[in-house]
Amino acid sequence: MNKSYYTCLFGGEAGYGVMSAGSIIAKGANRSGLWSFVVNEYPSLIQGGLNSCLVRLSDKPITAYEETIDFLGLFSQQAFDCYADKLNPGAIVLYDATTTKIDATKVPEGTLLCPVALASSIPKGGAKIMINSAMLGAFAAFTGYPKQILIDVMKTEFHNEKIQQENIQILDEVYHLVMETLSSSKTFPFPFEPKAEPKMLINGNEAISIAAIKAGCKFSAGYPMTPGSSVLSYLADHGAEYGLVFKQAEDEIAAINMLIGASFAGTRAIGSTSGGGFALMVEALGFAAQAEIPLVMVNAQRGGPSTGLPTRTAQADLNFVVHASQGEFPRIVLAPGDIEECFYETFRIFNLADTYQVPCIILTDKFLADSSVSQLPFATESLTIERGKLFEAKEQPYLRYENTPDGISARAIPGQVGGRHIATSYTHGEDGFYSSGNKEYALNEPMVTVNSMDKLYNKLPAMEKEIPAIKFYGPPNADLTIIAWGSTKGAILEAMELAASQNISVNFLQILYISPFPITATELVLQQAKKTLLIEGNKTAQLGSILRANTGHKTDYTFLKYNSRAFLPSEILAKIKEVLF
Amino acid sequence: MAAHDINLPYVPTWCAGCGDYGIFMALKKAMTSLNLDLEQTVLATGIGCSSKIGQYMNTYRIETLHGRSLPVATGVKLANHNLTVIAEGGDGDGMGLGMGHFVHTARRNIDITYFIHNNQIYGLTKGQSSPTSDLGAVTKFTPAPLGNVEHPINIVKMALNVGATFVARAFVGNSTQLVSLMEQAISHPGFAVIDILQPCVSFNHTNTYQWYQQRVKPIEEMEGYDPADLEKALTFAGLWGEQIPIGLYYQTLRPTFQDSLPQLSHQPLAKQKIDNIDITNLMQKLY
Ligand SMILES: Cc1ncc(C[n+]2csc(CCOP(=O)(O)OP(=O)(O)O)c2C)c(N)n1
Ligand code: SF4
Repeated sequence: MNKSYYTCLFGGEAGYGVMSAGSIIAKGANRSGLWSFVVNEYPSLIQGGLNSCLVRLSDKPITAYEETIDFLGLFSQQAFDCYADKLNPGAIVLYDATTTKIDATKVPEGTLLCPVALASSIPKGGAKIMINSAMLGAFAAFTGYPKQILIDVMKTEFHNEKIQQENIQILDEVYHLVMETLSSSKTFPFPFEPKAEPKMLINGNEAISIAAIKAGCKFSAGYPMTPGSSVLSYLADHGAEYGLVFKQAEDEIAAINMLIGASFAGTRAIGSTSGGGFALMVEALGFAAQAEIPLVMVNAQRGGPSTGLPTRTAQADLNFVVHASQGEFPRIVLAPGDIEECFYETFRIFNLADTYQVPCIILTDKFLADSSVSQLPFATESLTIERGKLFEAKEQPYLRYENTPDGISARAIPGQVGGRHIATSYTHGEDGFYSSGNKEYALNEPMVTVNSMDKLYNKLPAMEKEIPAIKFYGPPNADLTIIAWGSTKGAILEAMELAASQNISVNFLQILYISPFPITATELVLQQAKKTLLIEGNKTAQLGSILRANTGHKTDYTFLKYNSRAFLPSEILAKIKEVLF
Repeated sequence: MAAHDINLPYVPTWCAGCGDYGIFMALKKAMTSLNLDLEQTVLATGIGCSSKIGQYMNTYRIETLHGRSLPVATGVKLANHNLTVIAEGGDGDGMGLGMGHFVHTARRNIDITYFIHNNQIYGLTKGQSSPTSDLGAVTKFTPAPLGNVEHPINIVKMALNVGATFVARAFVGNSTQLVSLMEQAISHPGFAVIDILQPCVSFNHTNTYQWYQQRVKPIEEMEGYDPADLEKALTFAGLWGEQIPIGLYYQTLRPTFQDSLPQLSHQPLAKQKIDNIDITNLMQKLY
């Protein structure tokens, strides 16, 4: 079998360090010329339940996963019961016979069953979490993954010297124990390059957070909600070093209003939440639009409606986010599909927010926010800050909402001499004033209203022109055009590769910015398309309805998945074949 | 700065006789006598008759959403702690939708001054009950014969209980005291609250100028008055009826939220240079 991927899965209940075992293997691979993709699945539980960490390794970049397992590391019975049927022929299953009973009829023929006394290799009084070091030692012995690489990662992962030493010792002991009795092992399929250029192991939320810091964001406020929170905790942890203040607010309503206050006062600000929190922020989203105050918000989607599935993925907030708020106003909705887009487009969106003075929403999901990928360091030299039209003291009288041909007026920042004005949530005239009780204003109200609405929408042509709204992959005249958005990108690209290797020709239109909708660019692609297939992680084909509203195009086929898990390349390939043959 | 610098060429649209005029005049006086730099002052208001005050004052202003003046003011203050930040709004605005924010802003002791125009009614939406409406108050939403059956919120008690470091009650009919309390509140380092009793001549026919006039009494004339004593302040705050003490109830100094943040020990966030921030270190941590 031609192996281009190797998949390890660790499963057990919380407290065994399932995820840290996975990330140590992935980091080791990253430092040794390989590429990795790490997907964590965990229930919304503090104790118990089944946590799993899947590490997919390859000798080329990867951004998707398959649940076909080459190495299964078990910390609990439940993990075996859940994953036994996902084993590849010839896989290794490592377990502690005192905690896990293996039913040999449930595993494929040729599976190497390896009982190791993991728990008893922990010194008396040692923490349960150390069992993952025993697991890693046995993993190295059975697979041939270099032990020293794991130890080197541990040395940088564990900051406490004593804990570091204890874990390394356990790893080493179990490694030797297994090696002494080893009768058969499987060789790891990829070569390790000791001097390779290091790569980051980074998830979507980290990429967004780092981009925000790079973009000069100095303020963040929020309220915890999985999977949006880790942007906030990253900024709380690392932001202070860059002079950034993170404020945990009493609720999401306070959070977004704090962001608006800070932005009004001239500071770049970011918030992050998930659908439920975003729902609470909607009123203030309109406020930012009406007052033309730049705002950058992350909505990392999880299952819904309501509290839904806190720790699982979905792409079901699209219509909500694109239309959120009473009234109407232009906004920017970015749906990054991978880590690079999380980074570069987040940096860009801060510039766009300042330039167009509109609310900007970064729409990700649990899968993108939380899965880690090998990534070469970002190239930052060419990233430049653009703060948009700013008031200069000379221009008097100053009208904050001056009607300009492009709808954009100069912002004055509190403290600036000559820039005093009112920023308001009411519909207002050029100076920001609103009062239906004021005689003169009341006379002009219909005109003021039309002008203020037109002003907001006058920004659209320039926004549409500037925003790099779509991406296109694959041969132009393929037999099938896939249309999708957000985190499905990785699985689609891999499915396309598989398709190409079987001489099936598919291309892919990625809608990167969903608002303002890239009508012209999309239509150009659609004109060339022979058949179209829409792929989305929701029940009602939400991008489909947006596509139809904007272009009149109804895709020929749809593939919707809403079972709380991300798309797999193999199932997309199957769908492609079903549609074409 | 002269008083007329604060004026804008708009005539306020409050009903003739509304208490908001008195608060407006007092605020202008207090700001003038403190010689506040209007370019360095931000007034954050909510929504309601009271919140319209921001439309008529020539400082930097942000007219927020109903109930949200305090979180917006907090964002402004954290972004630029050199600004003087004043928040203002009604009793409905502040004690209804804004209650959660009020509690937490006080607890944080961020350096913001908060003036609540308390007319015990919703003015702008034409006469519904407010969280501060008296028991039995007949309003559009609490009709006769029952009237309001919910216990009213006592703003001063509330502020004292949740950690405001400057708490006062004023009556718009006593302008001299109101101006002086406003000056002290703005000068106070920390979260300062004034519950300003303000008649609504159109919709509250019970708590009128006369009603207040007959009841308000300078707090410093009351026995045992000591603005450093929280327990005393709470006892005085309990007086609401035949006698309503007005004046400074309580003042203390506690580190402010913004003083506790090392990031704010130098330049305001809004003044920091943001070109060429080096993130190499952050990326390396992920290797
Ligand atoms: C979210 C929201 N709910 C309701 C309203 C309608 N509203 C406008 S002003 C107001 C009440 C104002 O009462 P208060 O804060 O006591 O101020 P006053 O008008 O008495 O000065 C309400 C409910 C609104 N603007 N926004
Ligand atoms: S309705 Fe009441 S509060 Fe509003 S302006 Fe008139 S008197 Fe003042």
